[in-house]
Amino acid sequence: MYRSSVRAAAGLIAMLALVLLVAACGGNGGSSTSASTAGGGTTTTSGGGSGEVGQPVTAPPDNAKSGGTLTVLSAGDVDYIDPGLAYYSFSYQALQPTLAPLYSYAPGDPSTPMPILADGDPQISNDGKTITVKIKTGFKFSPPVDRAVTSKDVKYAMERAFTKQVPNGYMSAYFGNIEGVKAFQDGKAKDVSGIETPDDQTIVFKLTRGGPVVGALVLPVTSPVPEEYAKKYDAQNPSTYGQHQVSAGPYMLESYKPTRSITLVRNPSWDKDATGDPRPAYLDRVEFQEGNEDPNVASRRILDGESLVSGDFPPPPALVKSTVQGAKKDQIQFNPGAGTRWVSMNTQMKPFDDVNVRKAVLAVFDRNAMRLTRGGPLIGDIATHMLYPGVPGFEEAGGMKGPGNDFLANPSGDPQLAADYMKKAGFADGKYSGPPILMVADNSGVGAQGALVAQQQFEKLGFKVTLRQVTHDTMYTKYCNVPKANVQVCPNVGWIRDFADPQPVLDPTFNGKNIVPQNNSNWPQLDDPQINAAMDKAEQITDPGERAKAWADIDKMITAQAPLVPWLWDKFPTIQSANVAGVNALWNEGSYDLAYTSLK
Amino acid sequence: MTRYVIRRLLWVVVLLFLVSALTFVIFFVLPSTDPAALRAGKTRDPEVINAIREQLGLNKPKIEQFWIYLKGIVLHFDFGHSYLNNLNVRDEILSRLPATISLSLGALVIWLFVGISVGIISAVRRRSLMDRAAMGTTLVMISAPVYWLGLVSLLLFSQGIGVIPIFPGSGSYTPLSEDPWKWFTSLILPWLVLSAAFAAIYARILRANMIETLSEDYIRTARAKGLSERRIVLGHALRSAITPIVTLAGLDLGVLLGGAILTETVFNIPGVGRLSYDAIIHGDLPTVQGTVLFGAFFIVILNLVVDIAYAYLDPRVRYT
Repeated sequence: MYRSSVRAAAGLIAMLALVLLVAACGGNGGSSTSASTAGGGTTTTSGGGSGEVGQPVTAPPDNAKSGGTLTVLSAGDVDYIDPGLAYYSFSYQALQPTLAPLYSYAPGDPSTPMPILADGDPQISNDGKTITVKIKTGFKFSPPVDRAVTSKDVKYAMERAFTKQVPNGYMSAYFGNIEGVKAFQDGKAKDVSGIETPDDQTIVFKLTRGGPVVGALVLPVTSPVPEEYAKKYDAQNPSTYGQHQVSAGPYMLESYKPTRSITLVRNPSWDKDATGDPRPAYLDRVEFQEGNEDPNVASRRILDGESLVSGDFPPPPALVKSTVQGAKKDQIQFNPGAGTRWVSMNTQMKPFDDVNVRKAVLAVFDRNAMRLTRGGPLIGDIATHMLYPGVPGFEEAGGMKGPGNDFLANPSGDPQLAADYMKKAGFADGKYSGPPILMVADNSGVGAQGALVAQQQFEKLGFKVTLRQVTHDTMYTKYCNVPKANVQVCPNVGWIRDFADPQPVLDPTFNGKNIVPQNNSNWPQLDDPQINAAMDKAEQITDPGERAKAWADIDKMITAQAPLVPWLWDKFPTIQSANVAGVNALWNEGSYDLAYTSLK
Repeated sequence: MTRYVIRRLLWVVVLLFLVSALTFVIFFVLPSTDPAALRAGKTRDPEVINAIREQLGLNKPKIEQFWIYLKGIVLHFDFGHSYLNNLNVRDEILSRLPATISLSLGALVIWLFVGISVGIISAVRRRSLMDRAAMGTTLVMISAPVYWLGLVSLLLFSQGIGVIPIFPGSGSYTPLSEDPWKWFTSLILPWLVLSAAFAAIYARILRANMIETLSEDYIRTARAKGLSERRIVLGHALRSAITPIVTLAGLDLGVLLGGAILTETVFNIPGVGRLSYDAIIHGDLPTVQGTVLFGAFFIVILNLVVDIAYAYLDPRVRYT
């Protein structure tokens, strides 16, 4: 008895000592959390580093220095290292400095394409079916190719992305209307007849019908690839060109160790003056250190360390708030236009096949509570419709205020209005009384917390929710992206444009013809003939103003159908060390543009 | 002895086959990711998804996929290619093994040294203040989850973010071949964190065994014959009491060589454990199977080594 008592006491004392030690070390975190309650949104959408807390910086300082090594910390890896396959924001961040696409965006202007390899704006024929792009002369490939880039290299880069060896994810959607694609893919033609190269400095795209080709010329697949060099790698299935790629941009790939590191160094063949490339390329070397699974540790390393910036992860909400209110507030930026988040309802399944039930859900939904799970007002604005800030058509669709639907008027929810809509749907007491609904959600991180909040919102209307939580990848690939999985609610879905155009936001996600058995991104499975027809018509419009207006009208039609709860327009937080003069690329979720960033 | 070893090795083959089959079945029975859809990203083009499915060999019947996989291992020691990045799984595991071996062996040395020392001292000085303090501390170490202890140690001692920044922190691992000193310093914190719970368990087990052994008749006889206390403790009592520790050490080392997932993840050490973690999260079956098979291999082989070691540690043990 005596022995065990003393031992227990000794154990308790030791444990207490450790707890005190931990409490002492965790003091910062604790104060961060308490301080966070006062966190206010101070973000604006304009760039330029005006000195306001959290403003994205969209241009390098006047006295930016050349040289040095920058380290980018990331949790994950690129989806593909091959520019013909890369499709994720983080991949763009890593690869863009090595590429010379026809067009890109200036860091602060995510709407207007800026020529990189192209020599001026594209020339579009009156019927919108012929696009001619002139190419600059000064670009050269990095060693071992080390020769001048021609239009044939752009043609090859795009053609390889139509092959089985390079199964690009967006070619058919954005370039599928180029003449001769089908024949090329079926092996009936040696090349895509609709991509012509009359001389080394001209490339012509001939289209079967109008479409988003012009806007899509900013995508990395338009960066040149030398056929004579890449052919042997592209002959393998899958192609291994990514590991051996050559560059036409200011940097080139020195090494790539999947899930471990990526290293970029200067491309000795790139000459800013000769190319007229607008990118200043200050840094000598960029190292990506991957595998930083704990965002808390990684974020603290960045904020307290030197020459470090964040890659694919946002800092944790508590750290965001303490940083904004502390001495390191200049080291964080909130970048608008970083996508939108939704809670989708399956409009093909009961009870969400009734528009009044859907409107009731939108009316009751506390979107503020959802936003708090990710960090509150700092990390984004509450969404009021589908197009998000920075996308053409956003203002025409109602801007920040939205189109004025009553069920989206109160960001904290309106139970009375929700009950009214439920009554209209035939539920006399304003509450749902049917069988349980299936919700599939993330099982970890802020996504899991958001799912619990979403579940509460449905329960307010009397829904019994069967919540199945799985990994993020499983949620998408086995459930939410698969219509036959019969999931009624997906609370963790979201979307970001591929380029500055409203079509890539609304067409894949709300067009009935895009409901597919796998990788379906029309999560509500909305199939409204009027909306579908309006999209088909708007797709053909080439005038930017008319196009924006047409898609804004479609946005209003979709929002009126209440197919999902739009709850956040993201402002992605990025952080940097004190000695980094980071420049945020607003076209790419605000991630640091490594061709503009420098060290102080 | 030779026949015994051969028989055990044959069982290893059977066991590895069963482990492989079980992993395969679990992957396809339980909810998991669709690798082709995952690789396709945002695309909804069925032709692209099918092309990827074909590339990954997922268009073939399940049993054929398993057969191809087994054939690859047996004939070419080929564990297939990752669904995530198409890397050769065998090469990837082998390239990460040095980091895992560095972490595991270093931690093993620490936990054996600390665990055995503390266990002996606590047993010999039973009920002393030192014994009680040591046993209390072991209780805390056993109770502290590795990931928690890892984060706390980083926030306390790692350069860059620590309160007392004396050790390199997360992401600082450097291979031994590149810079031995950096290798050593980068692993100090991970070694300490990984070995803490093991050292505590070993100390408690050894202490209990030693106390029991020290009360045996043959120890009393040895004392009566005038042997020194040092010789009694280290030469007689320890040799008898340490047998379960050897068993445990073998099994634990085998498990860790299969990947110290939490420690490698917290400290961002590019070892087999982190590879397993990423593969599990993304449903990368070939990599999961590869790491599971390597882990199982290490466990059964080290178990065999332990059994053989028994014969030398305990003269009563003989294998036929």
